[in-house]
Amino acid sequence: MAALALAVGLVLADSSIIVLALPDIYRELDTSVSGVTWVLVSFNLVMALAAVPAALIARRVGPGRAAAVGLAVFAGAGLACGLADELSTLIVARCIQALGGAAAVTAALELLPATLGSERRATTVWAAAGATGAALGPAVGGILTELVSWQSIFLLQVPVALAAAVPILAVAKHEAATGIVSTELRRTGRPHLWANLALAMVSAAIAAALFLLVLLLIEGWRLSPIEAALVVSVMPLAALLGGRLADQVPDARSRAAAGAILVSGGLAGLAFLPKATILLTLPPQILVGIGLALVLSALTETALSGRAPQAIHGGWTISARHAGVVIGLLALTPIFTAEIEEQRRDGINAGTAVILDSPINPLLKIDLAERVSERLEDEQGKVPTIGPAFEPLPEDPGERTEVEQLQGELQDQLDRGATHAFSTSFILAALLGLIALFPIALSKEVEL
Amino acid sequence: MSPHEGDVRRSRGFLLVAGSIVASLILVGAYLAAGGSSYEPEKVQDPCKPRPWSNPQSLSEIANQFSVSALDGAACQLGVSREELAQALATPEARERFKQKYGIDDEKLAKAVRAGLLRAVDDAEEAGALSPLLAVPLRETVQRIPLEQAIELINDAESFLGNVDGFLGPAGDLLEEFLP
Repeated sequence: MAALALAVGLVLADSSIIVLALPDIYRELDTSVSGVTWVLVSFNLVMALAAVPAALIARRVGPGRAAAVGLAVFAGAGLACGLADELSTLIVARCIQALGGAAAVTAALELLPATLGSERRATTVWAAAGATGAALGPAVGGILTELVSWQSIFLLQVPVALAAAVPILAVAKHEAATGIVSTELRRTGRPHLWANLALAMVSAAIAAALFLLVLLLIEGWRLSPIEAALVVSVMPLAALLGGRLADQVPDARSRAAAGAILVSGGLAGLAFLPKATILLTLPPQILVGIGLALVLSALTETALSGRAPQAIHGGWTISARHAGVVIGLLALTPIFTAEIEEQRRDGINAGTAVILDSPINPLLKIDLAERVSERLEDEQGKVPTIGPAFEPLPEDPGERTEVEQLQGELQDQLDRGATHAFSTSFILAALLGLIALFPIALSKEVEL
Repeated sequence: MSPHEGDVRRSRGFLLVAGSIVASLILVGAYLAAGGSSYEPEKVQDPCKPRPWSNPQSLSEIANQFSVSALDGAACQLGVSREELAQALATPEARERFKQKYGIDDEKLAKAVRAGLLRAVDDAEEAGALSPLLAVPLRETVQRIPLEQAIELINDAESFLGNVDGFLGPAGDLLEEFLP
């Protein structure tokens, strides 16, 4: 059971684990924001497309064999990702990783009932492992990026995937020896349309929450990946709380609705941050974390409830989730990249106004303006750290105070620009979460 | 499921949804009340609108406001913001980028900078910071100086205003005493 849960968590974490590494990949592989987004999008797109076919194959060749081969492919492609020195190589390897991952995750759902004794319990564990993986992914990825490198994220996946594959291999051998393979496909019922649709919308909102928040912290507020990882680790911690809350409420539709509302509320909070302070990101993250735990598990259970075969319907939920992530990323990336540039310009102009209107000595002002201008040129296209332009500070205490105040005001204008650049995208993501309430309302009541 | 179990299930579900709505509204309401909807860079002022001088006392303060007025005037002429022009004039590289972006040549830039300096002289005179007797020859001077010197005037108005004799020749010595 542990190996299967690990496999599901590992693969589903992979859709978000590189979020914090994206700025490093962006710099190291010398690409654009839109280009680097494809490192995320490619994996999720292939997962969305391959999940159901992978489930069908798993039923033909045997879930044990499919899971073991899937994990081996996942590990091999992970190695290729870690060694990639070009964006195109990395994206191709990510696609192959997704193919392996799709096979492993859907086959795991077929194997879990035998291990846990019931389909319902299997569904709960499968959904919880996936939600935990998705929530933990960014924090783990950020820590690895900062302590080692972005490549280490993929290289570390190799032994973990192989370790999960070893016990599953025994099942595969047993299948081969006994010939217990479902060669005939049971008649597959239609996928649960409303639950899967809601899952796609909510996943789009959650992906946006993770992706945008990480970019805001690293590119906007200039945090290091490890600092950003610590900040966003609030979300998985809150998700644990959400999991406990879910146990108290048997009605899946209420949990799904409450989860979607909390995710939207948290995203709206991030859209209206009143200051560029880490502390203020915590309450919205808590809402998103609790919300994602409630909504993802409730919708997955609803989508799988009373449906057979589980692996294929599990494939539909994986497909819906990852399609949602792709839609969220592709829809919001152009919006916030345009906003970042515009707000950066507005921030710099507002900062320049602060310098021009300040009462400091004109000659010092000219000197400062030149240094600030050079600093902005050095960090073309990014939100600059303005501090170095103000060093060394004047020796005269009065002038020093004035310059320090000016530095604070200028940085404040840049921070305002960086923070405001994400507002529209967060609002749109929040709306996606709220729109998901319609399919949730139309889905059938399901109890734990 | 008994009717009682059904009631409990429904009430728990209702409480969870209601709690989520309340928590979300409290968070968003608190952030909006704290200024979340207006946390963005301050809007820059239209350079064509007059910017009042704030009763400058020293030569340094006059020079400060003279530079700002000159930038406003030049920016208004070029149809850009004062701030964007100030960034453009900070380094030669920034100036080249600015000229390319707006398709401006040196002649057009010089014309705009001179217009800005003229506005600065007008503003200084109107604010009582510059004697009318000095304003007249200053206007004459700024209309003839080359671009580099005109930009230098904006950047270092204090030297200009403090050493008018250097710019105006022998008449400067006489006119300097009219500076407040």
